[in-house]
Parts: sequence; C-alpha cells; structure tokens
Amino acid sequence: MKRTRVVASGVATSLTLALALSACAPADEGGSGDSAGTPEAGDITLWLAGSDTNDDLRKYLVDTFAEENPGSTLTIEEQDWTDLVTKLTTALPDAANTPDVVEIGNTQAPTFTYAGAFREISPELYEELGGDKLLPSFVEAGSIDETKYALPYYYGSRYMFYRKDIWSKAGLEVPTTLAEFGDSVKKLKTDKRSGFAIGGQDWRNGISWVFANGGELAVKDGDQWTSTLSDPSTVKGLEQWQDVFEGASNLPPTQKDEAYWDFLNDGSEGEAPSGATIMAPAWARWSIGDLTKGDDGKEVRDGMADDSRFDIFALPGVDGGVAPVFAGGSNVAVSAKSQHPELSENLLRIIYSDEYQTMLAENGLGPANADFNKIMTVDAEGNPNKFGEVTVETAVASKLVPAAPGWAAVEGASVYEELFQKIAEGGDVTALAKEYDAKITPMLNGQAG
Amino acid sequence: MSAPTVTRRRPRAGKTLLSVLGLVLSLVWVFPVYWMVLSAVTPNARLTASTPSFLPVHFTLANFSSVLGDSGFGGALRMSLMITGVTLVLVLSFAFLGALAISRWRFRGRTSFVLAVLFIQMLPAEGLFIAQYKMLSTVGESAPVLGLNSVLGISILYTATLVPFTIWMLRGFVAGVPAELEEAGMVDGLSRTKAFLRITFPLLAPGLVASGVYAFLQAWNEFTTALVILPAEASQTLPVWLRSFLSASAARGIDWAEVMAASTLIAVPVIVFFMLVQGRMTSGLVAGAVKG
Amino acid sequence: MTTTTPAGPTAPTAQATASTPPSPIAIRRRRTPATPYLLLIPATLILLVGLGYPVYWQVVTSLQQFGMMQQFGAPPTFVGLDNYARIFTDDRLWAVVGRSIVFCLVNAFLTVAIGLGLALLMRAVHGAVRIVMQVVLLLAWATPLVAAVTVFRWLFDYRTGVVNWLLVQIGLEGYDGYAWLAQPLTFFFVATLVIVWMSVPFVAMSLYAGLTQVSEEVLEAARLDGARPGQILWHILLPLVRPVLAIVLLLQIIWDLRVFAQIRLLQDAGAPISETNLLGNFIYELGIGSQDFAGAAAVSIFVLLLTVLLAAPYVRSLMKEDAV
Repeated sequence: MKRTRVVASGVATSLTLALALSACAPADEGGSGDSAGTPEAGDITLWLAGSDTNDDLRKYLVDTFAEENPGSTLTIEEQDWTDLVTKLTTALPDAANTPDVVEIGNTQAPTFTYAGAFREISPELYEELGGDKLLPSFVEAGSIDETKYALPYYYGSRYMFYRKDIWSKAGLEVPTTLAEFGDSVKKLKTDKRSGFAIGGQDWRNGISWVFANGGELAVKDGDQWTSTLSDPSTVKGLEQWQDVFEGASNLPPTQKDEAYWDFLNDGSEGEAPSGATIMAPAWARWSIGDLTKGDDGKEVRDGMADDSRFDIFALPGVDGGVAPVFAGGSNVAVSAKSQHPELSENLLRIIYSDEYQTMLAENGLGPANADFNKIMTVDAEGNPNKFGEVTVETAVASKLVPAAPGWAAVEGASVYEELFQKIAEGGDVTALAKEYDAKITPMLNGQAG
Repeated sequence: MSAPTVTRRRPRAGKTLLSVLGLVLSLVWVFPVYWMVLSAVTPNARLTASTPSFLPVHFTLANFSSVLGDSGFGGALRMSLMITGVTLVLVLSFAFLGALAISRWRFRGRTSFVLAVLFIQMLPAEGLFIAQYKMLSTVGESAPVLGLNSVLGISILYTATLVPFTIWMLRGFVAGVPAELEEAGMVDGLSRTKAFLRITFPLLAPGLVASGVYAFLQAWNEFTTALVILPAEASQTLPVWLRSFLSASAARGIDWAEVMAASTLIAVPVIVFFMLVQGRMTSGLVAGAVKG
Repeated sequence: MTTTTPAGPTAPTAQATASTPPSPIAIRRRRTPATPYLLLIPATLILLVGLGYPVYWQVVTSLQQFGMMQQFGAPPTFVGLDNYARIFTDDRLWAVVGRSIVFCLVNAFLTVAIGLGLALLMRAVHGAVRIVMQVVLLLAWATPLVAAVTVFRWLFDYRTGVVNWLLVQIGLEGYDGYAWLAQPLTFFFVATLVIVWMSVPFVAMSLYAGLTQVSEEVLEAARLDGARPGQILWHILLPLVRPVLAIVLLLQIIWDLRVFAQIRLLQDAGAPISETNLLGNFIYELGIGSQDFAGAAAVSIFVLLLTVLLAAPYVRSLMKEDAV
C-alpha cells in the first residue's frame, strides 16, 4: 500500500513540474527528439473510438508507421464510445499503461485538456501538421488559451434525410427557412408516421435550433463559464424546437440520439415508413434505401439509390441559408504520460499527411485540414457528390458545444438529455432554462477551480 | 402459496391442475430465452416486421457466423473461461477453509469475522475500480502476471468479492455434516484426517458445487471491473465484448438478430457448465438447506 | 439421503487431496485454538489484498478534494468532512436513497415470494413437469446478465418489441408504440421483471432443496392426525425452510440494493436518467460521469453504512439463531 502512495505522489510531483514548465517532454526522455529525428524504437498504441475509422484507414496507419519508423510498431485498439471516458480516466494518468495517442470525442476533449492529460503540441509541430487550416472550433476544444493539446481528427455534420415521395405527395418542397421546415414536417405527421422523427432527449440535434436562432449554450467571461440557456435567443431556439418536436415527432420524449435511419425505410413487407424526415450524420446513408444483396450475400440497404424516393437537404437557417448545426467528430492527442512522445508525434505527422487526409475525405469523414474538404464533394469518378457537398456546406456553418473544462461532467451526468426531455414533454422553457442555468454553471467551471 | 393444499384434498385432479400451472409458468419463464434464440436464427430484416412470427420460419445461421466472424469473440471466450476457472478454484478453496473454521470452532473474533464477511458484500463496487486500477497497475510494474490485463490479477479481485458470500453459503453445508459422523469413523479405526477425507469431504462436495455455481456466474457476468482492469482489446471478457458489440451495432441501428446471436453464444458455456454439474447442484442445495 | 449418493465418485478426489497440508493440520489440531485462525488466513489475506487498498483509498478520497486534476496527478487537499456535508445536502442523494430502498425491498420480497411459490409448486407437480420447470429455471439462471437485459430491452422496444404487439393484438390499442422505459414507473416495472426473472431461479432451487428435506413420514403422520393442507404448509413446511428463507431474503436485500448494471443497460435505451438512477448508478455517474471522485467515494461509504444499518436487526436475529 505504501508503495502505491509513493509512486502516486512521485508521479504527481513530476506532473506538476511538467505543467509548470508548460509540459515539456518527460525528463527521462533525454532532451527533445526533434534534433536527431530518430527516436528510440518502440511500440506505441493508438486508441480509436468506435468503428468510424475503417480497416483500410487503420491498415494505412499501421503500415506507414512501421515503414517510416524502422524497428517501431503501431498497435491500434478500438474503444467503445460509451465507456471511453471511463477508460481514459483510469488509463491516461498511468505512465506504465497509457495509450500513446488517443482519439477523444470533441466534447470530451476540454475536460481532459484542462486536467493535464495531454502532451503539448509545440507551435512548430502545430504549423507542420496544418496550423490554421485545421478546423478552428475543434482546435479550440483542445487548447488552453494559445497552447494546443488536442487537434481535430475528423468531423461529421448532420443534415436532413427525407422521403421525397412523401414530401412531394403532400405538395411540399425543400424548405428554405427553419420556420418553413417546422411547418412542413408538422403537416407530414400522422398517427403512424413522424413528420420529423427525433427523440426528445436528442439534444445534439436539438441544439441546432438554438444555434440557428443565434443563441449560445454558455459563454466565457475571463476564466469563468456561464450557462446561457436563459438568453432570449437561446430560449427562442428551444421553444421553436419544442414546437417542432410536439407537432412533428411520434417518438417518446425520453428517446436518445438513436439510429433514426430505419424510420425512412419501407417495412419488410412493404409497409409505409414510420418517418418522413430524419436528421443524421452523413454515413446514415448506408443504412437507408431498399434492400439489396451485398457482396457477402447478406441483405443490406442500397444507400438511397432510388433518388425519386430518398433525398437530403441541409437544415435551413432562420432567414434562409444553412442553419449552424452541431458538429460531431473527434480530436486526437498524445498522452502526457506517453513513454514514446517522439514516435507519437510521428504518428500525428502521418495522420495529418496529405495522403491520410485524402483517405479520410474519401471515406466520408470530414478531414481535419480544410484543404481536403473539396475531395468530399466529388465521387470517385469526379462527378459532384451531393452527400459530400451537403456535408461540407453544413460543416462550414457548424458549431461546437462550449469548450469548458467541466463540459464532460455535464455530458456525463446527462444534464442536457434531461433538459431536452423536459422541454419535449411540454415544460415551460423559460423556467426550465433558468433552473438548468443554475445547475450547469457550477458544473462548467468545476474542474478549473 | 396455498398450492399444495389442493394436492392433498383431491390428489389426482389437483396434481394435474398444478402440473398444468407449472407448465404454463415454465412457458412464461422460458419465453425470454426462447425469444433470444428465435431472434438469433432469424434475419434482422424479418425481425422488424410488423407481425412478429413465433416460430423460426425464416431460419438462418448467418447471424451466428457474422458474430463468430467478429475478431473479438474467440479471444474474449478464452479470457472469460480462464478468469472464471481461476476464480472458481481460488474462491472454493479459500472459502472452504474459512467455512470450516467458523462452523467447526467457536473462537474469539469468530462473530466479528462472520459479520465482517457479511458486510463486505455490501460495499458498492461502482466506487472501487479506480483504486483497483491504481493498485493493479502498480503491482504490474514489478509483477506483470498480477497486473492489469492479467488473468490472475482480476481473478484475485473477483475472489476477494466472492469469498465472503461463498464462506457464508458453505458454512451451512459444513455445519450440516455432523462432526459425530467423523467421530464414528474414528471409532472404526480411521485417523482424524482419514475420517475427514473419507467421510466429511465427500458429503461436502455437493455444497462446493452449489457455491461454485454462484461464483461461476458472478465471474462470468462481471462487467464494470473487467472493463477497467482489462483495458487491452486482447484481454476483453465476454460481457465487455458483448457490450461493445451492442453499442457498435447501436451506432448503425441495432441489428437485433446479431445481438441476440451474440447473447445466445455467451449463454451457451454457462448452460453447458450447468448441465455438467446439474445433478450435483440439486443435491448440493439440498445439503445446504439442512442447516441453511 | 440424497447427499450421500455422490460419496462414491468423490472419494478418490478426496484421497488425492490428502497430501495438501491445510486440512490434515486442521483436523489433527482440532482442539488447539490456533487452528481456526490458520484456516482463516487465506480468506483474510485475499480480502486484504483484493479489497484492503481500494477500501482505504475510498475512505481517504472521501476526505479530500479529488477531481479530474487530482486523478491526473495534482496533489489532493484534505477537506475533512466537506464531501459528506456536500452530498448530504444534495437533494438528489435522498431521492436516490428513497428510490433504491423501495426498489430493493419490492424486488427482494417479490423474488422470494415467487421463488417460494415455485418451490412449493415443484413439490406438488408430476415428475416430468418438475424436470421441465427445473430446466427452465436453470436456463433463466444461466442467461448472462448483459444478455438478459438486452433481451428484455428488445421485448419491450417501443417500436418493434413483441410485448407491445401482443398488447395491441388483445385489443389494447393504446400500447401501439408505447415507450415502457420513458416513465420512471414503467421503467422500474421492466427493471423489476428483469431482476425477478433472473433472481427467482436461485431462490426457487434453494427453497425447493429445503422442502425436499421434509420427510414424507412426517407429512403422512400429520395427515393421519387430521391436519389440513393449509396447516401442514404453515406449521410444518414453512418452519422447516425458515432458515433458508431468511438467508435467501437477506442476500436478495443486499444484492438488490446494489443493482447497477441492469439499470445502466436499460438506461442506454433511452430513459429519464436522473429519475431512474439507483445508488450504484448515482455513484458511477458522480464518479466517472462528473469526475467528482471524492463525492462518489463519500456516497459509497454512506451506502455501506446504510446497508449495515438496514440489515443490522435482521443479522442480529440470524446470528442468535446461529449461536444456538
């Protein structure tokens, strides 16, 4: 027992020191490795969250890393999104077992950044990896003031998938304003069909209405964060969302951000779909459409091949244009406790290389580096790709949740799920906003204080 | 509750009636298991049909093959088997000695020990794993075989949480074998050791089986500790694997058929284990009931 | 009777263990007071090794300010009982405590009542039916927790679940698309179903085992004396299984107060989270969810004391019986 404590306090001291010296490389590494450029060989581990990074991308990372760092290897381990925070919380502070490089949800990045979990990315390295071309809102989520710790990995933005046949039959066109969208989906609702299938707890989609109305979830004043749900623009957005939910969705107020795509598909015996419109990330496309036989003989969806029945549009803004939606996605960072910081930085160099950024874009994942967005907008044959176009269009307008140190605590305690559920149940938005402001503000600052 | 009353009044008719009731209840109880297996052999597209079918009319094994094709399953199965095996051996041997001590001797501190053992079970495990992680990680630096991702390390944690209950349960069995039996054996010329091994121990075997079943299930099912203490992908256990399989599936719209196939596969080793020990278990529970 | 049957096959194993030191020593020195202590060494050691440091950490952390910064190495500051003061003035805690106690008692008593009912039923039915019932109970018992919760989620899924479909078929149109997990009350109904379904087999089998101990002669004698079946149940059967019943109930209470995974897995499907949290979930959410490790540690210690308090009178009576 005694031993454990000694180790823990030793670690504590070195970390405090490291923080004080604005997180330079651990002392035992013997100077920073950028001079010689040949770090000691070793094996590093990369934690990827979920399965969005597909096997081709993984193979590229592993092979290229081995090639560029003779004698060293890269191991990729996939972590489950649901338990990612649990595992990062225990593993990252542990020098002996920490993964060297981690992918982390963009909304979780601030908490770990403030806690000192990540190694600083030097201004030189930052420039080398793409600098200002990297998605600014994501860079901010992984920075403390001007110091960068976690960089964007990929983004995915959300847009609307809809049943063109149902919309046309009702004489409705693609809406041009947010209000028109609300009216249209309300008209499309029947007992058996949601005009707009959205769950009540689904705040990640719901906050688009707040952003569209010019509202903010929280603002930073000095080093203090304040929850601003009671701000008139925010309240207006929340009320508009409440109106849409109540008038257009048949889903329970407790439903989370779920896999909505099935709502657009016809039933297996040709039943009419149970939703006319959904809001989902770009790759939802591959779960929508008619059944067809895949390469392995399994029944799969055809990816909305029938464009007379399936189509997409970007959520329109209040006065037309495109509404700022919530940008999903993740950041990537080197663990402060990594035993191989130079090798880890070499891995970052591969991730931000032109080749890898291109591969991300080709696989429908929004690339961190804005230069590669254009790849998203054309398909393999160079024809315009409407899915990519809308992805980039909405991404440009997208926003992130506040980069407050305590944001992960807000998510961890499901506070927003609860707030949106209560709004969806028809609660008084102004009163709820006030109640939750009082609850959220101390949480946002919790870790910094 | 007054069920048996009927039996005695009109034995034949009553028994038949109760048997029918027993069958109906069995059907209700088995339905979730049936539904799990049925869904596992049905293509997912059929499962979401508006009229569910209660028979395997669209029988397929495709779900099983795609689950077995998942890279993690084999390793997780091996890991779960090893951890459960090691835990079982440790729990049973340590708890057996402990139960022997508290049921055959009255000694100073006995009551405190029994109480401590009972109360240790009441610790909420949800707060413990950060400390458990720190502990194993430190130990692992000098002895990797006991550290994180090791079979032995997590087995020791499981053993610590399971020993109290197992002592508690075995104590009833040990007390249920009267010491007089042993003494009778000694009269017949056996040494005390031999008397114990020839007479008492065999009588305890069913009790060990019954307690072992509990330990087996707990070690097999445990989720939170395994998630944290076995961070490497290669050392996942089955429940952790199933959960990540479920959430990976949920991200793409839950493929219930595959999830049910995965659930079925996880249940199979337990069912096999139960079949193997079933005869012993029933008699074991009987023996435990003597003293309770 | 039944217990003696395995004696034959097990005997060789018993022989083989003859060389292992602890048991022979134990027996030989049965009357020396040191023996029981020696026998307790392995169990005590494993408890100290496995739980000693974690419990110590828990206690120390509950007296410190310990959040994410501290987890990542910042030196924690000693704050005395501040964390306890903080959690005790948190309304959420008391709501969770109340809910957990009610949930625990309902589930424990329901499980034991149904288990007893099934055990009595097993005594009364034809042999073949008894085997069917035993196999079914074993199947339910063998279904791993994650799998069981997953199946129930699927049964009660609001869109494609078979429960809603059946209810609509029997004319309850209101259940079309009914979201069971959306309201705390119906959420706990489903949670109770899962827990009772999973726990009853252990209770039923233990009690059935106890019931088979009652010899037929005793029952026959009672019947000849003109005892009514109700009287036999009340005066002979129940008193005989009372010790088993008491222990099984105590264990169910302890276990049901610690329910965590079932609730968490059900919440994953979309539920009013703060209104469905039980103590385990609250601790987890406070610790890992909100990175308030000190608060989580304080709640854990509080839960331990609470359980001890709840179980104390019961344990005392058990101990008294045990001493006889």
